[in-house]
Amino acid sequence: MKNYQSKNINSIPYFFSGFWYKDPPKDVSLDGYRIDNVIHYTDLVIGIYFGIVVAALAYFIFKYRASLGHKAEYDHGNSRKNVMFTGGLGLLVFFSVDAVIEKMAFKDLKEAFWNFPKTENVIRIEVMPQQFAWNFCYAGPDNEFGTDDDIIPSQNQMHIPVNTPVVVQIASWDVIHSFYLPNFRIKQDATPGMITALWFQATETGVFDIACAELCGNSHYKMKGFLTVESEEDFQSWLSENTPEESQDDWDDWGDEDEEDTGVPEDWGWAWKEIK
Amino acid sequence: MSGHQKSFWTKYIFSTDHKMIAKQFLWLGMFFLFFGGALAMLIRWQLGYPEQPVPLIGNWMWPGDGGIINPDIYNQMFTMHGTIMIFWAITPLLIGAFGNFIIPLQIGAGDMAFPKLNLFSFWTMFLASLILLSSYLLPTGTAAGGWTSYPPLSSPAGGIPGLGQTIWTVALIFMGVSSMMGAINYITTVVRMRAPGMDYFKMPLSVWGLFLTSILNAVFVPVIAAGLVMLLLDQTIGTEFFLAGRLASGDPGDPLLFQHVFWIFGHPEVYILILPVWGIISDLLSVFSRKPAFGYRVTAIAMCTVTALSTLVWGHHMYTTGMSPLLGKSFMFLTLLISIPSAMFFLNWLGTMWKGSIHFTSPMLFSIGVIWVFGLGGLTGLYNATITADIYLHDTMFVVGHFHYTLAASVMFGSFAAIYFWFPRMFGRKLDSRLGKIHFWGTFISINFVFFNMMVLGYAGHHRRIYNPSEYSFLEPLTGLNEWISIFSFLLGVFQVVFLINMVWSMFKKERSPQNPWKATTLEWTMDYPIPHGNFEETPLVHNGPHEYSRPDIKDRDWLGQNERITV
Repeated sequence: MKNYQSKNINSIPYFFSGFWYKDPPKDVSLDGYRIDNVIHYTDLVIGIYFGIVVAALAYFIFKYRASLGHKAEYDHGNSRKNVMFTGGLGLLVFFSVDAVIEKMAFKDLKEAFWNFPKTENVIRIEVMPQQFAWNFCYAGPDNEFGTDDDIIPSQNQMHIPVNTPVVVQIASWDVIHSFYLPNFRIKQDATPGMITALWFQATETGVFDIACAELCGNSHYKMKGFLTVESEEDFQSWLSENTPEESQDDWDDWGDEDEEDTGVPEDWGWAWKEIK
Repeated sequence: MSGHQKSFWTKYIFSTDHKMIAKQFLWLGMFFLFFGGALAMLIRWQLGYPEQPVPLIGNWMWPGDGGIINPDIYNQMFTMHGTIMIFWAITPLLIGAFGNFIIPLQIGAGDMAFPKLNLFSFWTMFLASLILLSSYLLPTGTAAGGWTSYPPLSSPAGGIPGLGQTIWTVALIFMGVSSMMGAINYITTVVRMRAPGMDYFKMPLSVWGLFLTSILNAVFVPVIAAGLVMLLLDQTIGTEFFLAGRLASGDPGDPLLFQHVFWIFGHPEVYILILPVWGIISDLLSVFSRKPAFGYRVTAIAMCTVTALSTLVWGHHMYTTGMSPLLGKSFMFLTLLISIPSAMFFLNWLGTMWKGSIHFTSPMLFSIGVIWVFGLGGLTGLYNATITADIYLHDTMFVVGHFHYTLAASVMFGSFAAIYFWFPRMFGRKLDSRLGKIHFWGTFISINFVFFNMMVLGYAGHHRRIYNPSEYSFLEPLTGLNEWISIFSFLLGVFQVVFLINMVWSMFKKERSPQNPWKATTLEWTMDYPIPHGNFEETPLVHNGPHEYSRPDIKDRDWLGQNERITV
C-alpha cells in the first residue's frame, strides 16, 4: 500500500446530520460578512423568483391538464401586451436582482476588497506556493523584501496578528495555484510570471486552514497550510524566533547546477510591488 | 440519388444520409454518456468513501493499490469525465445526432447541404474518439489537468507525466475539426435549403437553437483550436506560449493567455450546448400543451440576443486571476445582462403552458423538468457572476453544482426529451411510456439531490478537484453530505440503465408507431417510416408557422401541419 493511504475519519456521526448541514466555515474576518450578505440576498431573491415559477408551473400543470378534457386556447402570445409583459418582467428581474447585487458587489469592492489599506500599521507578507506547499516571507527588521534579513518561516506556516490589516502578494513557483482562506471568504490565484495581491483582517485568534483552490497536480488535495491568528505580542515573538542568523545563502550561491535542484531557494523574495 | 441499391458499407458505415449519420452520432454519444457516467460514479465513490476499495471492480481495476483509486487516477478520472461529457457525449447527442436529424427534415430539405462533409465530420469525430481512448493504454495514464487543462500544469514543465496530456490535446483538435465541419454544414443548410415558404420566422424553434449553436461553433471552435495547437507546440517542440516565470527559458509567455483563449471559446460553449435544448423545449412544450408557442418571435430574438451576449462575458471565469477592476466590473455587468432575455423566453415557456391542454407524455415530463433544472441552474449563475460572491465560491463545489445544473441536468433532460420525442421517427417505434415515467422521476429526484447539494457543499467551502476532503478540518462536517450525494449519484446511474433498456428493447419490439404519434405540425412527421434517402418525395410548400395547435377554425382535429393549406 502506498503512502497516500491517509487517515479515514469516522463518518458515522455526520451521516445523518450531514443531510442538512449547510453552514459555511466560521467567518473570522473584518469583511467576510459582506460576501455572506450578498450571498444571502441572492438566496432570498432567487428563492422568491424560483418559488413563483414553481407555483405557476404547479398551478398550470394542475389546472390545464388535458385529462380535464378542455381545448387549449389558440393564442400566440405575440400581442403587444404580451411582449410588454414578458419584457417588463425581464426588466423587473434585472432591476430587483441583478442591479441590486451589482450595486452591493461594487460597493464592497470599493470599500473593502479592492481598497487596499493605506495606513502604516500593515502586515505585509509574500506568498509563493509550489507543488505542493506554501512558502511565506516576511520583510524582517529592515522592512524591505528580497534582503538578507527576510524572515522565512517553515513551510505551510503563516502567522498574523489579530485586528491588523494584512496585505499579501502572491506569485507562483511552478504551476497555477490559488490561495484560499475559507474562514476569510477570499481567494486569489497565484500565476507564474505575475504578482497578484489581496488583503484581509482577522477579527479572532485561532488556527485556520489554508487551501489550494486551483488544480495543481496529484497532491493538490494535500496542499494545505495553517494560518495562525494571534495577539500582537505572540506574533512578534514568533517573528523573532524565525529571524534568520547573521549570514544566509545568497541567490548566487544557489545557482550551482551540478545537481538539478528545482526547489525554492532558501532566501526567496521579491521587491514589494507598489499597488495604486 | 435515392432508392438505388446500397451495400452494407455505404448504407450503415460510410453513409452520406443525414439520418444515418444522426444515428451514428447518437450511438457514439450514448456510449460516451455511459462511459462518462461510470467515471462520475467512481469519482463520487472516492468523495463519499475516501480511500476505501471500490466494491466489485476495484480489485480488478487497480490491484496494485488494493482496489483503491489513487490520486493520479482520480485526477485522470475527473479530467476525462469533464472532457468526455462535454465534447464526446452532449455534443454528439444534441448537435451531432439531433442537429443532423432534425434540421433537414424540419426545414423541408432532402439532406444536408454537404453530405460528404457530414460523413467526414462523423468519421473525424470517430477518429478523435479513438485517439482519446488510446490514452488509456499508456502506462502513465490519460490527461490529468482538468477539462480546462490550464498550462503550465498541462505542459511537461508542469509535471503531469507521460503522453496523456498531449494525446488529449490532439484528440480535442480533431474533435474541433469535426465540430467545425458540422457547423459549416448546418449553417449552409439552414440558410440555403429551406423549403419554399419556410421563412426564418416559420422555422421551428429547435432549428433556431441548432442554427445559433452552429454559428457559435463556427466562430469560436477555431479559437480554441488555435489555442490547443499552441498548447500542443508547448507540449511537443518546446515553444513557450504559455510558460512564464521560472519555467520560461527565454522571453516569457503568458499562462493567462490560455485562460482567455479557453474561455473566449468556453463560455460560448456553454450556450452551444444549451441553445439546442432551449429550442427543442420551446417546441415540445407547445406540442404537448396543444397550444402555439407563446411569444415565438420574442423567444427566437431572445435566443439570438443571448447568443450575442455569450461572446462578451468570458472574463467572469477569471475574476480570481487578478484582472483589472474595470474589466472585472464590465464582465459582471455584461454577464448580468443575460438575465433579461433569459427571463423573457423562460416566461414564454410558462406562457405556452398557460391555458393549454397539457399531455404528460415522456418528452413533456422531461421538458417540464428542464424548466425546473434550468431555472435553478440559471439563477444560481448569479452568484458566480457577482465578483464578491465569486471570490469565495470560485473553484468550489458550488460552481460544480451550478454548471451541472445547466450543462448536465438541463442538457440531459433536453436530450432525453428529444430522444423520447423523435425516437418514432428514427426507429419507427415509440419508447415505452411507463419505463419513461420511471426514468423521469428517478432521474429528476436523484439529479436534483446530487447537484443541489453540491452547491451546498461549495457554499460550505468545499473546494473542487480534491481527492480526499477529509484532509481539511473545515470540511469534516461535510462528510455525511458527501456520502449522501454519492448514494444518490449511484441511484441516478441506475435509472439511466432503465433508459438504456427501454431504448434497446423498444428498437426491436414489434409494435410500430403511427406516422405522427404526437400529432405534431412540423415537416418531419409528414412521411412514412422509414424515411427514404432524400426525405421528401416532392419539396414541401410551407404555409403555416410551426405551432398551429388548437385553431378554432378547424373542427375535426387540433393541429395544422406546416405544409397544409387551410380548408374551411
